Amino acid sequence: MDLVVGKGLLRERRPLRHLDPILVFSMLALGVIGLMMVYSATHNALTAQHLDPGIYLKKQITFLALGVVVIMVVASFDYRFVKVYAGIAYVASLALLVLVRTPLGATVRGSQRWFQFLGFQLAPSEVAKLALIAMLATFLSELRSSELSLEELYRATAIAAVPGLLVFLQPDLGTSMVLAAILVGVLVVAGARARHLGILALTAIVLIFGALQLGVVKDYQVARITGFLDPTNDPLQGGYNRTQAEIAIGSGGVFGVGYLKGTQTNLDFVPEQHTDFVFTVVGEEFGFVGSMVVLLLFAILIWREFRIALISKDPFGTYLAAGIASMFAFQVFVNVGMTLGIMPITGIPLPFVSYGGSSFLTNSAAVGLLLNVHMRRFK
Amino acid sequence: MTELRTGFRLRVLAALVVFMFAALTTRLWFLQVLASERYRHEATNNYVRLVDVPAPRGRILDDQGNVLVGNRESLVVTVNRQEAGDRLEQVLYELSKILRVPVKVLVQRVDDPAYYSYSPVPVAVGVSDRVDYYISEYRDRFPGVEVVKTPVRDYPDGSLGAHVLGYLGQIQPNQLKDPAFAGYQAGDRIGVAGVEAVYEHYLRGTEGVVKYRVNSAGANLGEIGSLAPRSGDDVVLTLDAKVQRLAEESLSLGLTYARGIVDSSTGKHYLANAGAVIVMDPATGAIKALASNPTFDPSFFTQPHSQAEYNHQFGPATGDPLFDRAIQGQYPPGSTFKPFVLLSALHRGLVSTAQGYSCPAYWAVPEDPLHEVFNNWTTANLGTMSLAQALWDSCDTIFYPIGYDYWRLYYPPTNPPHLPLEQDLGATGFGAPTNIDIPFEQEGRIPDPQWKADIHQRYPTTFPDGKWFPGDFINMSIGQGDTLVTPLQIAQAYSAIMNGGRMCVPHVGLRVQTASGHLVRRIPNDCRRRLPFTQAQLEYVRQALTQVPRVGTASYAFQGFPFSRVWIAGKTGTAQVTGKQDFSWFAAMTSAQGKQYVVVALVEQGGHGSTTAAPIVRRVVEGLYGLPTTQFINVPGTDF
Repeated sequence: MDLVVGKGLLRERRPLRHLDPILVFSMLALGVIGLMMVYSATHNALTAQHLDPGIYLKKQITFLALGVVVIMVVASFDYRFVKVYAGIAYVASLALLVLVRTPLGATVRGSQRWFQFLGFQLAPSEVAKLALIAMLATFLSELRSSELSLEELYRATAIAAVPGLLVFLQPDLGTSMVLAAILVGVLVVAGARARHLGILALTAIVLIFGALQLGVVKDYQVARITGFLDPTNDPLQGGYNRTQAEIAIGSGGVFGVGYLKGTQTNLDFVPEQHTDFVFTVVGEEFGFVGSMVVLLLFAILIWREFRIALISKDPFGTYLAAGIASMFAFQVFVNVGMTLGIMPITGIPLPFVSYGGSSFLTNSAAVGLLLNVHMRRFK
Repeated sequence: MTELRTGFRLRVLAALVVFMFAALTTRLWFLQVLASERYRHEATNNYVRLVDVPAPRGRILDDQGNVLVGNRESLVVTVNRQEAGDRLEQVLYELSKILRVPVKVLVQRVDDPAYYSYSPVPVAVGVSDRVDYYISEYRDRFPGVEVVKTPVRDYPDGSLGAHVLGYLGQIQPNQLKDPAFAGYQAGDRIGVAGVEAVYEHYLRGTEGVVKYRVNSAGANLGEIGSLAPRSGDDVVLTLDAKVQRLAEESLSLGLTYARGIVDSSTGKHYLANAGAVIVMDPATGAIKALASNPTFDPSFFTQPHSQAEYNHQFGPATGDPLFDRAIQGQYPPGSTFKPFVLLSALHRGLVSTAQGYSCPAYWAVPEDPLHEVFNNWTTANLGTMSLAQALWDSCDTIFYPIGYDYWRLYYPPTNPPHLPLEQDLGATGFGAPTNIDIPFEQEGRIPDPQWKADIHQRYPTTFPDGKWFPGDFINMSIGQGDTLVTPLQIAQAYSAIMNGGRMCVPHVGLRVQTASGHLVRRIPNDCRRRLPFTQAQLEYVRQALTQVPRVGTASYAFQGFPFSRVWIAGKTGTAQVTGKQDFSWFAAMTSAQGKQYVVVALVEQGGHGSTTAAPIVRRVVEGLYGLPTTQFINVPGTDF
């Protein structure tokens, strides 16, 4: 291992030449599309309130710039340092998840998810995603055998279950699902047997039913999930978002109605449109073609992530990349799927496109880590 | 080995991701390419709001063109419960201060179950501009509150003709499902009584529509297009406002007058709690006046009101002013019935105008072993008289044997039953609605053996006898027993006597015309039905009734009447109702100055026909022909 700091710094300069330009391009392209979409979704409502129509745009530009800085910082040190600090990061993320439940956290629409400072919000659940990926990668890369025993699988599950439960209690069903997806992704790559994954899935199903029976899951959460099965059931509640999202996307047609010309977007029919439902802006204003471009950019992003997992010089890098790829893939699928009415409505943002600092910076850090693994893939 | 396996597993995961992207792409293809047209349509619906522009409702005019019901713009305060949300109570409290209406009343009004929780509920109508300015100035204190200009019904003459005119109310959910109300929406106000209800489809007009662009909050972003409303057509009535006022005043004065008279049989003043007056043109069936007392002010229904306010106005303690005694009240006709029984008896050959009949103090069925006695209205034996005199002196003991003859000759009925008296009375319009163009008319009742058996089976306590007795015919012969009529049926039947046997359907509608006066529809007279009696028989009865105000039972009430200038004939009636004071009837036919009228008055618990009803009719007739008005005078009530 080459962890001597003094020597390392000299060598650090060289890996920059081994950046993955395609990964960086797709991420920046998505970020720029996000800027356009956030502006389109917000300028009208802001103008109507006699506010600067560019408030959200300017903030998101700041996030994009900060994201680039985060990428550079995260990519600058050898990713294997992460292994050293993964435990600390993991425990710290748990601490934040607990603290956000105290009066220090801000309550927005019934859930305590954020810390509020300096006009920005920090969502510890975002941090928890990365911390979990690092912790799982660290734990699994220390194992000797190429196949996971059931006990190891349970221990990995326990690692994911603690933040998963804390996030679920906020309540933030979406992020806890993302944490579960990360776990499954990493476990598959780490060599969990199909039979064991089956047992895990069964346990999860039992737990979910138990939670439904005991009323741990709030009614509105159940309603949003059942609302996706029958959206017309209650058009003013859970089904409304979904119906409006479908109308916006469907009315875009093949080529879209044109940038800033979407009636559903401009007239504010789709709720949370600059955050969770940002894809509806793409769908309405740029149509099928524009939607496919965005999906293609995500496909490229995730493809590069898998490639990095494959070419990493050590299992730790592979697991990191696999966890991150799972996170992105799942978030894209659930977010876009929910705007298309094939997935339940959960508050998962679309990476790099949705408005929001915590998510943007977390995703940037993830990309930074991947670049790090990529740059240092040579043994 | 390990790396190969890892590679394989990564490919498994990647395949899963590819599958997920394929699912998204497929769905996108469906939404944006295949089903796009539908969603585009829905998107348009989403941002275009159609706002109905109410059409001004047609006016209701009297036959001289006087406006009986018009419209005026009124400022209405509405509260949207959903928009007010948690602040509803606070909003009502604020409103209560500026509207000067107790919060409790506002709460009751706003809780009207007839409105959906998301639609605005009117809580005050006719508020001042000041209220409008105040609410718009302090918008933030009144979430969910709107002040809107709404046309409301205007009644220049107050309660005049209220029962005929009717009023508006909220359309009912079951009506919305009725194809007759296609195009109506929840919350629409429609005619629910009187002419407003019957001529609803003419009066309503066609709503206009304005297309607005809106955002998701429903905020108006500008007009796209509009279609102007077409105002409703005016309905011109046969009613004459002057005659209607005359009828209502005469009825009201008559009731007051009767309340000052002591009922000799009970020793108490007459209650004279209610009554009706009808003035009808016998040649056409046109109603010139239709009064029912107690009455109400229809403008009450232009105001939002709670159930409690409604009960205060129209509850049991108020004497049921919404009840239209003229067409809904069902009363025993008493002696006003005798002309029709006599006509039937003449028609069936039971009696002869050439013969004299004795009028003893009492009469009993000859075959009755119990010898049950039916009394005349007087204990004196009036001797032998003609049938005509039997009418003008209202001799019951001449009519009892006529009733008994129907038993003797036609009972038990053959199969199919031949019931000549019921048949003849039915031909005279009794026991069936007249089909006047006012809703909720009652049909009265002409009892027959079948009816008596049926009603006994259904209500054995109230109707202890299911068997048909001679007494049923005997009672019917003097308009008592189970016989019930409405004042309108009496007016129609006397019109037929007067006009030579034509049964005219009474009507209050004359024509429908556009707001600018162009004829839309003439409401035709319908006098196709004929009485089964001969002209000679009708003439005989007319002549007999001419004597009633001159020398007969109403002669006291018509003392000093200028019979030479105004021809008048009529019949008194004193109907007995179990547990109540006598009901007073008078039906008159009159002709002078080329104008003919039938005037009917009924006073509940008003004593004898000559005591209350006849003076009311006299006052109306005097008004109709511009004769000097005679004061109500106390006359001895000695007739039946």
